[in-house]
Amino acid sequence: MKWFGAALALVVLAGAARAGVADQCLELRKHGREVEARECFAGLAKSADAAASAEGYWGLGRYEEANARFREALKEHPESAEIRVRWGRLLLDRFNRADAAQLFQEALQKDPKNAGAYVGMALVASAGFDAKAVEFARKAAELDPKLVEARELLAYLKLEDGDEAGAGKSADEALKLDKDALDAMAVHAAMDWLKGSLIEQQPKSAWLDRMMMVNPGYGRAYSIPAHFFVINRRYVEGIRLYEMAIKIEPTLWEARSQLGINLMRVGRGDEAKAQLALCYENGYRDSETVNSLRLLDSFKDYEHVRDGGAYLMLAKKEADLLEPYFAEVANRARAAYEEKYHYKIPGLVSIEVYPNHEDFAVRTTGMPGLGALGVTFGTVVAMDSPSGRPPGEFHWGSTLWHEMSHVYVLTMTQHLVPRWFTEGLAMYEETQAGPGWGDRAQRDDIEAIQKGKLLPVAELDRGFIRPSYPQQVEVSYFQAGKICAYIAQKWGYAKLVSMIGDFGARKTTPKVIQGELGVAPADFDKEFLAWMKQRYAEPLAHLDDWKKGAQKVAELVAARQYDEAIKEGLAIRDEFPQYVETGSVYEMVAAAQLAKGDKAGAVQELSAYAAEGGRSPDVLKKLGALEQEAGQTDKAIAALERLNYIYPEDEELHRRLGDLYLGKHEAAKAIREYRALLALNPLDQAASHYGLARAYHEANQVKEAREQVLMALEAAPEYRPAQKLLLELTK
Amino acid sequence: MRAAVMMLLIAGAARATTFYLTVAGLGGEPDYEKQFASEAAAIDRKVKQADPGAVSVALSGAQATKQKLQAALATIAGRAGAGDSLVVMLIGHGTYDGLEYKMNLPGPDVTAAELAAWIDRVPAKRQLVVNMTSASGASLAALEKPGRIVITATRSGNEKNVTVFARYWADAFADPGANTDKNEKLSALEAFRYAEDRTARFYETAKRLASEHAQLQDTGHGSGVADPSPKNGQGLLAAQFVLLPLGGQAGAVTPEKAALLKHKQELEDQIDQLKYRKAAMPAEEYQQKLTTLLVDLAKTQAELDK
Repeated sequence: MKWFGAALALVVLAGAARAGVADQCLELRKHGREVEARECFAGLAKSADAAASAEGYWGLGRYEEANARFREALKEHPESAEIRVRWGRLLLDRFNRADAAQLFQEALQKDPKNAGAYVGMALVASAGFDAKAVEFARKAAELDPKLVEARELLAYLKLEDGDEAGAGKSADEALKLDKDALDAMAVHAAMDWLKGSLIEQQPKSAWLDRMMMVNPGYGRAYSIPAHFFVINRRYVEGIRLYEMAIKIEPTLWEARSQLGINLMRVGRGDEAKAQLALCYENGYRDSETVNSLRLLDSFKDYEHVRDGGAYLMLAKKEADLLEPYFAEVANRARAAYEEKYHYKIPGLVSIEVYPNHEDFAVRTTGMPGLGALGVTFGTVVAMDSPSGRPPGEFHWGSTLWHEMSHVYVLTMTQHLVPRWFTEGLAMYEETQAGPGWGDRAQRDDIEAIQKGKLLPVAELDRGFIRPSYPQQVEVSYFQAGKICAYIAQKWGYAKLVSMIGDFGARKTTPKVIQGELGVAPADFDKEFLAWMKQRYAEPLAHLDDWKKGAQKVAELVAARQYDEAIKEGLAIRDEFPQYVETGSVYEMVAAAQLAKGDKAGAVQELSAYAAEGGRSPDVLKKLGALEQEAGQTDKAIAALERLNYIYPEDEELHRRLGDLYLGKHEAAKAIREYRALLALNPLDQAASHYGLARAYHEANQVKEAREQVLMALEAAPEYRPAQKLLLELTK
Repeated sequence: MRAAVMMLLIAGAARATTFYLTVAGLGGEPDYEKQFASEAAAIDRKVKQADPGAVSVALSGAQATKQKLQAALATIAGRAGAGDSLVVMLIGHGTYDGLEYKMNLPGPDVTAAELAAWIDRVPAKRQLVVNMTSASGASLAALEKPGRIVITATRSGNEKNVTVFARYWADAFADPGANTDKNEKLSALEAFRYAEDRTARFYETAKRLASEHAQLQDTGHGSGVADPSPKNGQGLLAAQFVLLPLGGQAGAVTPEKAALLKHKQELEDQIDQLKYRKAAMPAEEYQQKLTTLLVDLAKTQAELDK
């Protein structure tokens, strides 16, 4: 989150006189009397008291001088917690979260009851949507019941968590302490506006009127609500509010930066760049602004390809390779979702594919609980390229399928759908797209069920936005996906589609669960948990034994005690059959079987691994090779085809698939595979062009075949098979 | 190179011998010991399969001592003639202390200078030294010599991590794809490019910072390069050096076949020349001429294969 240093609670300042002067300056600013405020700060900057002078420079925007004066102040008063807090707040304002946190911690060591330090800690935590933010803000409010900022911050944090009642209460408490608590009013205005739509209506609210009475140039009246629209994925409305914020306060750089970032999110790159560049030129250079500008600059290294209903943005270096596969999945997903959801997306869906994960990460920065692999902003999907991750780490086909579900659900509901439902439905849809697609149960998921960590459905959004333990976001994705699977199984898939409509009509989760499923949310939670316990009965009962057993199998394989490894592996494998990550029992048993020459056994084991969604390219290639060797061409093709949706950056994969398709006289698919091979710029150009020439020849595309065979021979004039084909084509 | 081989075929001259010496040094850990020995054995096996006339010696484990290495090179020096070829391949760990490169062997290590002195005594004029150890870049200066191709797995002595280059160098002996010009002879340059490409892809795929950058030097002076080409003047000798013959032996050469071989050679030379002029020619004209030559070459080869 972002918080604003302007709403200062000056009781934390050292010395009543100093606080009083700074307080006056800030009050003038708060009420829109900027000229007088600057005069006031200028006077303060001249103070002999280093801390007071620092406040003055800070108020004037002369941050380096303010920083230097705070340093001096701390030398003069080395035990002061208050100076540390104020210095920390300056650093926080200037994007130095780490040093700010250090100063707040030091302040608490000096004065464990320093409410201002707890506010600082809450602000640092809230920037990363850390659950501790609320805890720290509560502590600050407890320690200093008159600290307005703590109440305002609590209101803000509670609204981020979707707790409207709690947010309203905290905002009211702040307003009781200070009738002009502008940020509390902004939280109220946000709640008013979130209930309606700002797409066609003007943002009106009694709270807005009150804020404008206090300060007609108070841009945060709009930018604070804008933040809530954005974290609820209502980007278009968020953008509108940010635009209004900078209209009345053009130097509110933080709002301008967020405007730029959100314009970029929805694909308005040029406008985004203009706003972000303006921030940068005016010294507002936080990491989000700078990284977003860099990313926008790197767009020149991408090319745009329109294919059916998909508008792909692919890095030039991998566009030729990825385009056919991405376009196929995107268009297949469009067709599938149009039929499933009875809805047509007007226009194209933009799909941005980033080979550098850091670039993708820029697209999600500042957003809580978004996917680590893909993200959807309206009809813009941004995701990692398969080349952006180590082979087998993710199934890009599933990710794109997932994001395409979001495109539909977010559009259909005008972004009003709760996080848990859109994520859960997308997770469920992945599993329906093809064999081996979709999520696999992880050990953390099983442990979450065991330890009762699954959240009630009505509170599941919290697991995405403000996780209370490290794996909670991932566990929440898993849980949400299984909830949708449970609904589809028990009540039918149509119920899920009806629920999309309900959420679009602004119904809450409890109401939708009760209305569509005829069961109270609490009862739903109980029944769902029972279903999960049945579904994962084996790992729930045997997880610890399985862990020990898997370790033993690994040791036996390493010791080449293959018979024992196979026996032990087969005995424990089905205690957690869903586990297909690195070092799965399937792989170890197959390795032992192969060492003993039992290829048929290994094929069986690795087929089970693939059926459970195993994604290791090496393992799947091994399965394909064994099946090919056994004459099971179709199965070998199926095993290798999976890899096209996992890690297509593999020459051997495309060469083998091309050969297999050619052997089956499936020329079109062979052409696709050899073209993919050539897109990887293989060292062996001659064999690759020759393969493509054969595929074109098979397809009776003589001209293309001849072109390719000549390219093969240009690279290797003595290449006998290519010479023979050339003569055949020249006849 | 092509011309030289053709001359030998046409004249039916006795084949020159290639002497291969592969050394797998001290592993330090069982896994490395096994890996190095396995790579050396794979190369040795492939050489013996592909070129029964070659002399191939592999030293690994306790056999790979400095004394045995010196003795092996001395034996080769005693048997090889000027027309023969020498290939020395070193796999394992190397060290560089800022002054001197050493390859780790059981017992005393061997320095680059010692190796160079022993190899210098081998009269074979065509020499290839492939040092695939860590820090091997530091051995290049000592090993380089006119007429000798030197390949190192690392750019300098500061790249000290265990290398993967040797794995892919060994793979090049077994993968037909390494013979990119499909002339049934794996050249030193082709093997270098194959191993270098695979090594780079290994680090890229694993999302790891590359800790080795292979170099080739075949002009006898100066630094090595990662990408030998006419532009930097490196690679000419390596392109001509047959590391491994991949095709069958040529049959008897009749006068008719000799004429066809001569024509084939002429066509290949014309194709080479045409390719050099590609950038300066209209694309259509280039394509037309290339097609004519390639069709002619294919027909000639078909006649030869009858």
